[in-house]
Amino acid sequence: MSAQITLDTQIEDLVKNYPEAVGFLTRHGIRCIRCGEPLWCSLGELLDQDGVDDPHQLVTELNDFLKRK
Amino acid sequence: MKEILEKLQIKEVNRGACAGPDDWYEDPEAEEVVSHNPATGEPIAKVLQATEKTYDQVLRTTVESFKSWRMMPAPKRGLVVMDLGQALRELKEPLGDLVTLEMGKIKAEGHGEVQEMIDICDFAVGLSRQLYGLTMHSERPGHRMYEQWHPLGAIGVITAFNFPVAVWSWNAAIAAVCGDTVVWKPSSDTPLTAVAVQHIANRVMADHGLRGIFNITIGRGAVVGERMINDSNLPLVSFTGSTQMGRRVSEAVARRFGRTILELGGNNAIIVTEDADLDMAVRTILFGAVGTAGQRCTTTRRIIMHTSIATELTDRIVKAYKQVTIGNPLEEGVLMGPLVTKGAVEDMMAALEKVEEQGGEIICGGARLPDYGDQFVEPTIVKMPAQTEIVHIETFAPILYLLEYEDIDEAIRLHNEVPQGLSSAIFTTNLLTAEKFLSHEGSDCGIANVNIGTSGAEIGGAFGGEKETGGGRESGSDAWKAYMRRQTNTINWSRELPLAQGIKFGD
Repeated sequence: MSAQITLDTQIEDLVKNYPEAVGFLTRHGIRCIRCGEPLWCSLGELLDQDGVDDPHQLVTELNDFLKRK
Repeated sequence: MKEILEKLQIKEVNRGACAGPDDWYEDPEAEEVVSHNPATGEPIAKVLQATEKTYDQVLRTTVESFKSWRMMPAPKRGLVVMDLGQALRELKEPLGDLVTLEMGKIKAEGHGEVQEMIDICDFAVGLSRQLYGLTMHSERPGHRMYEQWHPLGAIGVITAFNFPVAVWSWNAAIAAVCGDTVVWKPSSDTPLTAVAVQHIANRVMADHGLRGIFNITIGRGAVVGERMINDSNLPLVSFTGSTQMGRRVSEAVARRFGRTILELGGNNAIIVTEDADLDMAVRTILFGAVGTAGQRCTTTRRIIMHTSIATELTDRIVKAYKQVTIGNPLEEGVLMGPLVTKGAVEDMMAALEKVEEQGGEIICGGARLPDYGDQFVEPTIVKMPAQTEIVHIETFAPILYLLEYEDIDEAIRLHNEVPQGLSSAIFTTNLLTAEKFLSHEGSDCGIANVNIGTSGAEIGGAFGGEKETGGGRESGSDAWKAYMRRQTNTINWSRELPLAQGIKFGD
């Protein structure tokens, strides 16, 4: 599947359509599944809440990671 | 599978918004969600999710129905809940099977969950004649004071995948006898069990000529969930889920001065002392840590064991883990099924990488089990040198951390060090140690047990926890009070007008 994640992507969609993204983000200290359920927010909101310095760069890396999968 | 679905009126495509018998709503713009069997990956059936439009339709009926429901005497409301319990008894087997099919917990646990629904209905029926208020002696002559409990309104219930039906019933059965109407948003991972429950509730409502008491809106959190928490028509929102989402729910509901019942994350430990019965401890740990594939709020996630018994206990737990039968949860003899989603597997594997980075040693399990299916993993035991950052986090998977202690004060300190405060247990034969664990300086959790585990609560007690678990209480004891509003009444039956505190004003 060609990855096209953006900061506006909802976490519910991310978890459903790109489950590998969960592990990638957890390794970067970003947890988008809690108690087994996806959070109700966009990826951008989550990265902002977690104080990620360069969210655009992380999303680029995430898309690259998913393309390699 | 077909037979289970037919018995529960599940079709190939189901509507996800309903406000009673013959009141299923559909929006042409509704998105479909496909429910998959986590054991096989095969689709089971589809649900057309609720939209803002269908949420509004359901909510109108929920709010309108409250006006008449609240005026029905509570014992009569109890009769409706009694019939709900009876309908669940009749369909216990297929509904329990569907829980297993859709969520992945083993059959015994799926059926047990439906039994919990039946139990809470029975409890609620009795409660319907016991919604007691206190009377007080007034300081003023010729006055009488008392308090009464009134129904609160239409309430929102948001539940998680891991107990797809029981948590709804903890809320709905109690709320109903309290005179509230309920709108439910279940997890999008388990929509079919919710549809099945709504059909059962519809049958009961139809028998009593009712609608709008038990209602459903299956939809995305970002759509339906956000609408519910910001909806001032709902004076109470009961939320079961993560601490992070609970914070969001709490802030949104508080902003409009609504109330919440929050049942959030747990990080539950068992302390095993040097004098504990290790046979009992091992059996309990196995059920608590491996049951529901480590996906219960009350799953045992940490063992804090005395150094003198650490080697023996570790060996025995590892031996027990190696005997766990993993497989399709619908098959007899299987003790552990799959995780709920592929994302949950990824989350577990990433957490285990962190474990090793932080000095943890995986002494049992730790791998995926692709031969069983994409969502199967080995139940995992990790020996930790200290209670590091990863141990403070609730990873919703079968990872059990082993820690050691020298004296009971250290054990309790380790126990209480995590931010969550749901369930806890101690295994000891020493009365003094047991009482210390239950004392003011002991466990800081909402549930504290002696010689039984952290999971498997009965419905008769109030269920919930402290700290980041949210402080909410559901189910038994006096948890019903959260679903009602308290009113203090003072009646003057004299012909004088004395003021309280002896105040004289213009006499």
